[in-house]
Amino acid sequence: MNVLAWCVAAWLLGVGIYGIVTSRHYVHMIGCMTVCQSGTYVLLLGIGFRWGAGPPIFYDTPPGTSAVDPVMQALVLTDIVVGAAMTALLLAIALQVHKRRGTLDPQHLRPLRPRE
Amino acid sequence: MNWLVGIVLLTSAVSGLLVVASRVPRRQVYAMAANGVVLALLFFVLQAPDVAYSEIAVESVIVPLLFLITLAAVAVNKVRR
Amino acid sequence: MTGYWRLALLAPALIVLAIAAAQVILAMPAFGHPLSQYGTTVNALAPMIRNVSNMVAAVNFDVRAIDTLGEESMLICAVTATVVLLRGHRGEDMTECAGRLAGREWLGRSAATVLMCRLMATVVFLYGVFVVLHGTVTPGGGFQGGAIAASSFILIYLGEGYSVWRDVLHSEIFAAVEGFGGLAFALAAMVPLAFGYAADQNVLPLGSWKDLYSGGLMVIVNAAVGVAVIGSFGVLLLEFMEETRAPKPGDEDDEDQEEGA
Repeated sequence: MNVLAWCVAAWLLGVGIYGIVTSRHYVHMIGCMTVCQSGTYVLLLGIGFRWGAGPPIFYDTPPGTSAVDPVMQALVLTDIVVGAAMTALLLAIALQVHKRRGTLDPQHLRPLRPRE
Repeated sequence: MNWLVGIVLLTSAVSGLLVVASRVPRRQVYAMAANGVVLALLFFVLQAPDVAYSEIAVESVIVPLLFLITLAAVAVNKVRR
Repeated sequence: MTGYWRLALLAPALIVLAIAAAQVILAMPAFGHPLSQYGTTVNALAPMIRNVSNMVAAVNFDVRAIDTLGEESMLICAVTATVVLLRGHRGEDMTECAGRLAGREWLGRSAATVLMCRLMATVVFLYGVFVVLHGTVTPGGGFQGGAIAASSFILIYLGEGYSVWRDVLHSEIFAAVEGFGGLAFALAAMVPLAFGYAADQNVLPLGSWKDLYSGGLMVIVNAAVGVAVIGSFGVLLLEFMEETRAPKPGDEDDEDQEEGA
């Protein structure tokens, strides 16, 4: 139990990288990238967690009760929303690739060449 | 509460694997939505309600929609060529 | 590089990564016993110093507000890049017909769907604004509430259809809203600098404990971020949805001719 959260984070990162390398469709590759991102969320929130503590919101409980780390939660919170914008940018790039090349298979696409 | 955190961590590992294992993009979209819900549950258990809010709204609603729109645009463009 | 070579290169890379991960995992502190002092200090001091009860919002919008300014700029840059990419190929006009694929039947919308979408879009948007406004008091804030309110636009599309959605939501309004949110955040960070304080220092009067308007400058920053996130996601959804419109003749050929010349 002491190392389960770190193992899950490493597992998600490894699985995401495997999915990216063996992917046959660009949109599937972007989905695997979100799995890598979720691995980092698990890691960050696992670092801040404390057994027997409550959330860092002191509306009902008086300030001074033991609470988990709010700095890690602030990091993950903005990360999720900005990560969605990055995913949108990658999807737009994938769409443009499809318009130019007609295929979304990474193993059939070569790097860009100047037009002859 | 040890077992609850442990079970939800293992469930999130499994759901991440399922997202990667769905090779057809249209099916992967729904796996991503389910992954978002499982992760939100994990964030609740780790005492982070703000992050769970953000995760549900973004990764279960908006990101699958962007994926579906992209797949539809790819299909429309494929017909044109 | 064929698939076989990719896998052959991936295997040693993953082995090295696994060894490194094992070393790091063994050296990490035990799960549930954090070592950092920053978090405990914020939890102990911030309620009294800033009169807010949501510590995560206090960290986001006051203690580490410069980092959030950077994240907000990243959001605006990503959305701008997406719009430039999509519009650069397609042009700036907008149409009113969604694209239809030949051979796929189109089922109309049932009355129940339209009614539920109309009701739920209003409720979800109001709930998102509620979450934004209560950011300094209960779990919530600009980022979460903005994302929730932006998902109500999807419900409008689902209930009304593409052409009505186009009429109701205009891309220029959302782009202006997003820019206004970013500008308000930047002003809130820079104006205290002009008066001799530190950047983003809390110079407005802090309200009372558990009040809706507690937190001073945090209220303005929170609202600016909420507005900016709503605008960003609105622009993203509109631009992406425009990609699925019925293709017009001469849509793509101009770009190719420019390349060849």
